[in-house]
This record gives sequence, C-alpha cells and structure tokens, in this order.
Amino acid sequence: MLITTKKGKVGKVSVDVTSGLSMDSPMLLPEVQNTYGQGNGGQSNTTSGGSWGGKSTTYANNIKDFFRTGISLNNSIGITGGTEKTQAYFSFTNNRDQGIISNNNLDRNTFNLRINQKISNKLSADVKATYIKQTIDNKVKVGEESGIVQNLYKIPRSVDLATYANFEDAAGNPTYWTTSSIYTNPYWTLNRTLNTDARDRVTFLAALTYDLTSKIKLVGRASLDKSNDAENRKFFNKTLLFAGPGGTYQEGNGFFREDNFDLFLSGYENLNDDIRVDFTVGTSNNRRDSKYTFINANGLLVPNKFSTDFGKNVSTSSSLSEREYQSVFATASFAYKNFLIVDGSARNDWSSTLPSPYGFFYPSAGASLILSEMTTLPEFLSFAKLRAAWSKVGNDASPYLLQNTFSVGQGGTNGFIAQNSTKAIPDLKPELTTSIEFGADLRMLNGKLGLDVTWYKTNSINQLFFVPLPPASGFSNEYINAGNIQNKGWEIMATWKAVESDDFSYTTSMNFTRNVNDVIELSERTKRVFLGGGYGRTAGPLIEEGGRYGDLWSEGWKRDAQGRYVVDAKGLPIGSGAGNTFVGNFNPDFMLGWRNEFNIKGVTISALIDGRFGGVMVSGTDANLAFDGTASYTEAFREGGLVLDAVNDKGEKNSVSISSEQLWTRVSGGRYSFGEFFTYDATNVRIRELSIGYNFNLPSSLGVKSCRLSMVGRNLLFLYRGKAILDIPGIPQRTMNFDPDIQLGAGNFQGVEYGNLPSTRSVGLNLQLGF
Amino acid sequence: MKYIQNSFLKLTCLALVVIASFNACTSEFDELNTSKTQLASLGKNEYPFLFSKAQTEASYAFWKYQVAQNLFADLYAQYYATTATYFPSDRNVIRMDWMQWHWRPIYTDCMPQLKVLLNETEAGSAENALASIMWVYAFHRLTDYYGPVPYFKAGEALPSIPYDAQDKIYDDFFKRLDAAVKVLATKTAEKPYGSFDLMYGGDVNKWIKFANSLRLRLAVRVSNVDPARAKSEAEAAVASGVMTTTSEDAYMFKTEAGTDVNGLSGISVWNEFRMSASMESVLKGYGDPRIGVFFQPATATGTYEGLRNGLNTTQLGDVKNSNNANSNVGTRWVTGSGSAWARVGTSPQNILHSAEVYFLRAEGALKGWNMGGTAQSLYNSGIEKSMNQWGIADAAAITAYVNSDKKPIAPEDALNSPAVSDTPIKWSSDPAVQKAQIATQKWLALFPDGIEAWADMRRSKLPKLYPVVNSDNADIPSGERPRRIPFIDYEKNTNKDAVDAAVGLLGGPDKATTPLWWDK
Repeated sequence: MLITTKKGKVGKVSVDVTSGLSMDSPMLLPEVQNTYGQGNGGQSNTTSGGSWGGKSTTYANNIKDFFRTGISLNNSIGITGGTEKTQAYFSFTNNRDQGIISNNNLDRNTFNLRINQKISNKLSADVKATYIKQTIDNKVKVGEESGIVQNLYKIPRSVDLATYANFEDAAGNPTYWTTSSIYTNPYWTLNRTLNTDARDRVTFLAALTYDLTSKIKLVGRASLDKSNDAENRKFFNKTLLFAGPGGTYQEGNGFFREDNFDLFLSGYENLNDDIRVDFTVGTSNNRRDSKYTFINANGLLVPNKFSTDFGKNVSTSSSLSEREYQSVFATASFAYKNFLIVDGSARNDWSSTLPSPYGFFYPSAGASLILSEMTTLPEFLSFAKLRAAWSKVGNDASPYLLQNTFSVGQGGTNGFIAQNSTKAIPDLKPELTTSIEFGADLRMLNGKLGLDVTWYKTNSINQLFFVPLPPASGFSNEYINAGNIQNKGWEIMATWKAVESDDFSYTTSMNFTRNVNDVIELSERTKRVFLGGGYGRTAGPLIEEGGRYGDLWSEGWKRDAQGRYVVDAKGLPIGSGAGNTFVGNFNPDFMLGWRNEFNIKGVTISALIDGRFGGVMVSGTDANLAFDGTASYTEAFREGGLVLDAVNDKGEKNSVSISSEQLWTRVSGGRYSFGEFFTYDATNVRIRELSIGYNFNLPSSLGVKSCRLSMVGRNLLFLYRGKAILDIPGIPQRTMNFDPDIQLGAGNFQGVEYGNLPSTRSVGLNLQLGF
Repeated sequence: MKYIQNSFLKLTCLALVVIASFNACTSEFDELNTSKTQLASLGKNEYPFLFSKAQTEASYAFWKYQVAQNLFADLYAQYYATTATYFPSDRNVIRMDWMQWHWRPIYTDCMPQLKVLLNETEAGSAENALASIMWVYAFHRLTDYYGPVPYFKAGEALPSIPYDAQDKIYDDFFKRLDAAVKVLATKTAEKPYGSFDLMYGGDVNKWIKFANSLRLRLAVRVSNVDPARAKSEAEAAVASGVMTTTSEDAYMFKTEAGTDVNGLSGISVWNEFRMSASMESVLKGYGDPRIGVFFQPATATGTYEGLRNGLNTTQLGDVKNSNNANSNVGTRWVTGSGSAWARVGTSPQNILHSAEVYFLRAEGALKGWNMGGTAQSLYNSGIEKSMNQWGIADAAAITAYVNSDKKPIAPEDALNSPAVSDTPIKWSSDPAVQKAQIATQKWLALFPDGIEAWADMRRSKLPKLYPVVNSDNADIPSGERPRRIPFIDYEKNTNKDAVDAAVGLLGGPDKATTPLWWDK
C-alpha cells in the first residue's frame, strides 16, 4: 500500500469529503454443461463425484448462486489549514469492503496527520504520522484442500446447491454429495473454517531541514514503519484434512519493523551563466526486523472451543529475521543552458546478509537533451527531448544463507534435530543489474499529438537462484549466484488531443509495452532450473539457457518422432510424463491500452480498453471441470464415437473410438492433469474501465466550494478471450473461461490458475465535496 | 568559485567521515546474520535427536507414507485397492512427482543424520552400531525399489553422486550388520540413545536380534542369485540369534506431535483405498481371525469386503466398488464409519516382526539351510507368532487354524472374481505347495508393510494374486507386474550423468519391467 499524505496549506481551513459506493460481482464463471447429471459411465448415480451420468435435471445456476454481490463503501474526510509558520493536514478514511463470498469482509480505518513547522529562518520540520487499523474476515483460501471455490466447482450438474446449504448432519459431520479425501461441501468450508487477519500499522516520519546557505541544505530524516499482525484460523471439528479431534485452532502473530535514518546535503550552484550543478551527498541506514510466531492447537479438548488453552496437542514455531543495510551515496547533475542535462551517481551499500566485506558499489550516468530548446526544428515539431541512461543496481539477499544449519522439530519421544535440506552459500554475492535506456519525447502540432518512446535493455548477473541438488548429497536445494538474464523492451505512449474547445474535447491515447526476456546464461553446472510450484498438478516454471523466464512445462500429449500424437491401444492419449512438455510462456508478448476521454460541457467520460496479447495460462480449475464432466465441452461424444487424430505406438493410424468421459478422465485426474490440455492462450481484450463524471457548480450560498459526482465501472466485459492451445478435432474449440489476471502464485510461479476466486466486475458511485 | 571549492571540500570530508564510521558499523553484521532459531553446530547432547529423526524418516511418517509406500508398494502387494478416482497408480501408472517422496526422505532427512552419527560417534561404540543398522534398514527399502542407487558416496559434497550396483550394496549391508552385531555383543549393558531410540528404547539385546533378523531377510532376498552367500549369511544370522518372540518385535514409536503420526493411520481417514479382493479371498477363505484386526466391516454391508486392483473410473462408479461397500483398515489405525473417520495416529508402526523371521527360517529350511527347526514347525510357529502379534492368543483356535484345509474363496466382488489361489493353510507334503504356503502366510504376516511384501513377491513370485484389471502404463502390459521403479525424474534433473551411468548397472532398460539383481 502506498501512503501519500497531502500537505497542509496556508490560509483558511478547508475540508474535503469523499464518499464512494461500489458493487462487485463475478465477472466470468466457468462455462458448464447442463445436460448430464451425477454419475459415471453414462449411468446416473447419486454418490458419484462427477457428472458423467445419464441425461438428467440439472441446476444451471448451482455455481453462480453461491456468490453474492459485494457492496463496498469508502468514506473519507480531509481537513487542512495553517499559518505562514505552521501548516497541518488531517484525514480519516474508512473502507468497508465486502467480497463476493458471503462472510469475506474488510474493514479499514486510516488516520493521517501531517504538520509542517518553520522553527527558525533556517530550520524547518516536517512530521507525519499514519495509523492504519485493518481487519479482514475470512480471507478466501485459493487452490484446493479447503479451498472454497474448488469445493464449489466440484458440484455435479444435477445437484441442487440449496440442498447442501444445510451443511452438517445430526452427528456434526459435513453433508456431501460424494466421499472425498480432498473436497468437501463448500457451505461447510464457508461456515466451518473461519479466519481473521487483523493488522495494526503505524508509520512515522520526522525530517529536519537546515539551510546552510540559500542554495545548500542539510536534511536529517528518521522514519519508522511498524506493524503487528494477529491471525487466527478456526477449523471446526470434522473439517476434512485440517481439523484434529475436536477441531483445530491456530494463532499467528507477526511483528514487523523497519527503521530508516538518512542524512544528506543537497544543493545547487550556478558555475557560470550557462551551467548549473545540482548535487546530493549522503548516507542512510536501514534496519528491518521481522518475527512470526505460530501456535497450532491440533485437536481441541472441548470441541470447537477455539482457544490455544483447549489444545490437545499444542505446538509452536517461530521465525526471526534481522537485516541491516547501510549506504553512502552521491549524485551530481549538470544542466547546460536548459537544454542539456548530464547526471551521474555513485553508491556503496553494505548489507549484513552478505559475507565480509559486506559492501558493493554501483554507479549510474545519464543525459537528456531538449532539441527544441537547442535548435530550431521544423514547425510541426513543437517539442523534442532525447534521453539516454546507463545504470548499475546492486541487490543483497535474504538473511541466514551463509551457514549450514540444523533445525529442531516436533515428533518422536523428545523431538528431532535434523540438517536443513538447503545447502548454504558461504560465498554469496550481491545481484547486479545493468540497464541501458534510450528515450524520446516528441510533441507535434502545437502539442496536439504526443509521442513518448522508450527502449531499454537490462542484464542481471549473479542472480540468486534456488536450485535443486541431487538428494543423495544430503541436500535438496542450494542457492547459486548465476546467470545472465536479459530483458529488452519498448514502451510507447501516443496521445492525440483530437478536439479541444470549451464545450467539447476529445483525447485519445494508446499505450504499448513489450518486454522480451532471454536466459543468456545460467551456470557451468546448471543449465535448467525448476523454479518451484506444483508442475505435477498443472504446470511449473523452468528456466534454461536459451529459454525465457516464465517458460512453463507440464505433462503433455506424447508425440512420436514425426510429431504425431500418440494414443494407446484403447485410443486414449499417452502422457509425456510430468513436466516434460513445454506449453508456453506466462509473459505476454505485448500489452496495449487504449484510453478515450471526452469532455462534453463539464461531463467527463472516460473509457479504457486494454489488451494483453500472447502468453499462456494453465488452469487446474479447468482440469477439474473436465475430469468431473462439468465443463461444457465435455458434452460432445458422451456416447462415444470420438476417434482421435493420432497414431498408436506402432505408428499406425488410430481407429479406436472413445467417449468424452474416457478422454477427459485420461488427460485429467482432477488435481493432477496433463497440463497441456488445459493451457490457454492468455490473450484477452477487455473494457477495463468506463467512467462518467460531472462537476456541479453549486451556488456559493451553500458553502460548498466544489462538488463532483462520478460513476465508474471496472472490468466490465471481455471483448476477446484466448483459446486452448490444443485444438482436439471433434471437440468444440475451447475458450479460456477464467481471467488470466488472477494467478495462483506470485513471483516465479505465475501462469497457473487453480481454484482462484473469479475476477470481479465492479460498478460504483463516487461523490467528492470540497468545503 | 572559491566558495564552491570550499563547500566541495567540506562535502568530501563529510563523506569520508561517514564512510569511516560505517566501516565500524559492520562489526555486528556476522552476529546479526547468524540464525537464532537454528543450530550452526552440534554437540554430543544433540546426537540422540538426530537418531530419532533418522528412524522416523526411514519408515515414512504421515503423508510421505502415502506417496512413498501406500500408492505403490502397498498396491503392488495388493493389501489394498484404490477407491479414489484421481489416483492412477493402482492401474500401474508410476507418478514420478510422487515417487520423489520415496527417495528424498531417505537421502535428505534420514541419511544426513546417520552420516553425522557414523562420522562423529566413536567407531566401535553402541551408538555408532545402531546408526549403521538403521543405515541398512533405510537403504534396503530404497534399493529394493530401484536397484542401483547412490550409496557409497551418499552424503558427500559432490556435484553428481554416482549410483552403485545392487550386489555391491547388499555386500555392504551384510558387512555392516555383521560388524554392528559384533560391537553390540560387547555393549549389552549400555542404553545407546536411551528414550530417543524410537524402536527399542536403547535395548541392545533387542537390537542384536533386530540386526540378525534383518540380515536373515536380506540373505533370503539374494537366495536366487547368490545361493552360497545367502546360506552362509542366513546361518550366521540364526546362529547369532534372531527374533523368536513377539516381545522382540520392532515397532516405531508414533506421536501426534509435529507430523509424526502413524502413516497408515493418518491416511486411512481419507477414503482413498479399501481392502483388496486378494486379501478378502484369502482371509475369508481361511476364516482368518486376523481379518477383524487388519480391517473393519464395510459401512454399507456390515461385512468384510474388498475390491479388485486397477479399476478404472467407470468401474469405480459401481456402488459395489465404493468406499462404503468395502472395508477400511482396522481400528488399530482408524475409527468411524461412512466417510467420517478419525485416526489413531499414535499406534506404533510395524517395522519387523518375529512372525516374518519364522517364515524366513521355514523357507531356509526348505532350501536345506540349518535354521534350527523343520520347515513345517517353523511355518506353524510363524502363524502362531503372527496371530499373537495381532492379539489373537487363543491357542486352541490357532491350532485349529494351522490344521485347517481351508483355501481362498471367491470374493463375490463387482467383477465376480474367482478365488485368488488354491493354497491351503495346512502344511502340504508337496514342496511346491509348501513354498506357496510359506509365501501366503508371510504375505499375511507382513501386513501392513507393503514395501517388504512387494520385494518378497518379486523374489519368490508368490503368493498368487489377481491380475491388475486395467493397466494404464504402456510399459507394463496387462498380466505383468512392476518389477522395479524406474529412476526418478527428480534425479534425472539433478544428477543426470550418474543416472545415465546407472542404467548400465541395471542389466536391462530403465523400465518398470526390468528385474532387479536379486529378482531372478
């Protein structure tokens, strides 16, 4: 979260009030079939987990009806005022957000205070404090195993959701339409697995500025960011997988603190009439501590009495991380006649997470030239600026990577001690990224047409990779500094102010970004690295020399030497083995945004359409919908008659007829699947935002200085969604039935979706008043 | 200009002062970067904790038990059949991403602790001997899945750890057990690791019997391929003293603390497997009292029921193959009914039992080895010890069982399967039947240790079990059974050169159908 605080203003007190209301609902739900009911092999059966039964009465909305429209309110008030010497700003914001799952709520109160004080002619102080209190109820667990969405999507087509709203029987066991070791009644998950995440956060900043001369000042700054997290998890007795006898209660307490101290001199000097120099030299110290303790009461003496005091088996664990980071830095910037700026910087950092001597140095240099100021350009070109920059940036690592350690664990008669399975890296080096960037900012036709173009290239070396080791070494993984990972790309922004008049104006702008990644080099020993994530279930990211960051590998449909699909004697696809097939890269080829803004007599209308082109996404949710016979595309070939265009292991053309149940239960085991079948081109174009607003000119007698009313719709609808990368002849072409913006993982593990909440469409109303 | 020069000079001075002061500030960095929640070094007091860890990991706790053992060896041994539709391993599919959890716990969670103990405790000490015995126990269960495995160089800081041939590994097993027993014979008054020893609480006399019994198991394992070595190792083991009563049986202590629950218990609440038709055919046919200990009546029928191995999802949709219509494991592991079960996670895990030892001796006696008894008497004792082990003490009932002519019966399952075999209980005069009888009773006595049962089945080709109904693994045609687990993908990704070289040690392609060295 970004916390920005307005400054108080000199003059009389003014007040701003903002109120907003928005309604969120699922934007896109999976497309399901509504012909066949619960069962297997075409036979209806009321205990089966899937919808492979006979034709049956179905409940078209038995997924949709589980969700609600979430109503969110946010209200804020800001008060500002001050004198020449003292200015103050105070604000208070309250957010009450409802999720689309009925007990998922967020409540946040934010208080801000900022005071600027001139202490003397030369000394001034700036102090600000923010306090945030936030509570989230029942954050929705994604994925599976008590994941509410996955539990919901497992519902057979012929099962009435309402029947299961009564989620427990007389003995307190969950009611369910089948038996399962993984999935359960979603209403049980909703009502019998509860959690709360509360956070108190304080940020504080004090800065003193002393003017040494009129051009040089000394600034000292101290800041603190401190938060406490209190989490609890309640798993009622009989909750599948998570509850011990009587239930399970877990409490987590997190403590985070970051201190920053900066001291720097900054100023400028005109060396002569044409040259001005701006400079900064300074030092900073950063300290980051975090601690997390976790108490697990596995089994409760009195069922569903959620307190650690009632735990049958209470275990605790904790983690502690401490890091100190010190820097000295200097920057200088020379401006010549207001059309040429040349700048440079130098920095040395020391991190406690690195081995002695702890420090590393990195410089930067850049230049920008305003051509239109330097020389006379053709008339249509009203402004032209060129820029170039080169920089190096260093980066330390997490604490405690330098030494092999042993950790203690629960179990046995007295506990365990074991060597950690991650091997230490005693000669850890900082990561170093070198960047080059060129850009041009051009404005034409008196500024009506604008074009801003940037090209960049970055190379990261000594990147820290977590790589697997042969387990026979006694370790599972080690960290290595390795590689040369390159990113190259373009960022282009074009703006056209097509019409500009008092009553009507129209501005349209296009934004294009493209990044190309290349893994130029990994290491002598390691040429390919799995970056983690469950590739056995869907797909996993792997980097290898010559490949790209974000390449996803999965189990695929086996091809023979001629590239033909291979089926077995039953006419069913043979798998390539988990993680053996490249299915695509999770990064887009390029992104395009198109914004249109109209102003008609004070009414502003804005529309943003954006598109993501290229890249893939693998859906574990879809693999489950296929396995269960729930997905709409499983409807074809229920009675058999599908002959896959493939060869058998002798290279002969396949002639064996199969049914859709045989096909989809072969290529998907539900939670484990041939991910290639459930990989989609993530290309999509959507109406990202549509808004309309009006500034009312109210009579001054009302005491209202400004009044703006606006309506905003976000994530309204898809204009295009990508298709499955495997087009199976005979099976209708499958369209991505999820929003690729919603990811299961983060960081290295992207491009996979599994039991995620659907993305939401939101429509809202905002009122801003100024007094 | 002069003023500027002055101010630049001042700044430079300031920067120098700052840099100088910072260098002093890094003096606390090393301490700051030392973990306060972990140990950087170990002392003598910590060693017993390591031994406990090695023991529990060697026998797989909780979910690792499922992916290492229950989804593979336990199914190959046909103790159970899979009811969950999402597990293809009962149809011979070998999921490499699951199989890594058979491999990794041994190398990264068990072996490193044993390596510390073998290196750091005094050679010739009881502690060192116990670590050596656990080493053999852990590695024999590993090599018997794959054949060649990294062994002699395991735990060394090498970029690639070579695989060793299985005959060399077995040779080392025998040497280690012999040496350990010799050491322990002089330490019977000691209590190595005390209460940290999760099997015997440091009882050296029991450890001697355990080591000799393990040596006998391994001797019988190599009896087809190296009969002379098998005979000498087996006779040496028996002469030195093997387990003879259930009080010497080896169990692993289990607890609800951490994730150290009894594996079978922990996974039996999930409704993913039930009694196999093979078990039902034999136990019901024999009127075997152990049926009520191993399993409990099916919720839907109140009777003991099993289903065939290798059913496809459509067949699993048949109500007769559902969880409710088939028997979950016994109340030693889980209690409950329907789909609601509670684990008995603290039930000690079965490791090695005197009953098995009697059957090993019975088979040795058939081969003409000096096993201290006749095959028939040892066979009858094995049955008696197994009954005793499971709490069946009625001597008259056991005698009646031993003298019964009963044979396996048709299980009346969804596929109307015939009886699994015609092997009777009562000792036969036909040597071929005798072998089948020993194997069948050993198979029952080994329950629930599917890893050992599958290894013994591959060696002896007995007892006769049902064919797997569907094979979804093109490498294992219907009618054949897996003879080994192919080298795992995780190793191919991390230790490729060594895996490539290891294929040469296999004597066949790296497939599930290639028999291991001792499987001749």
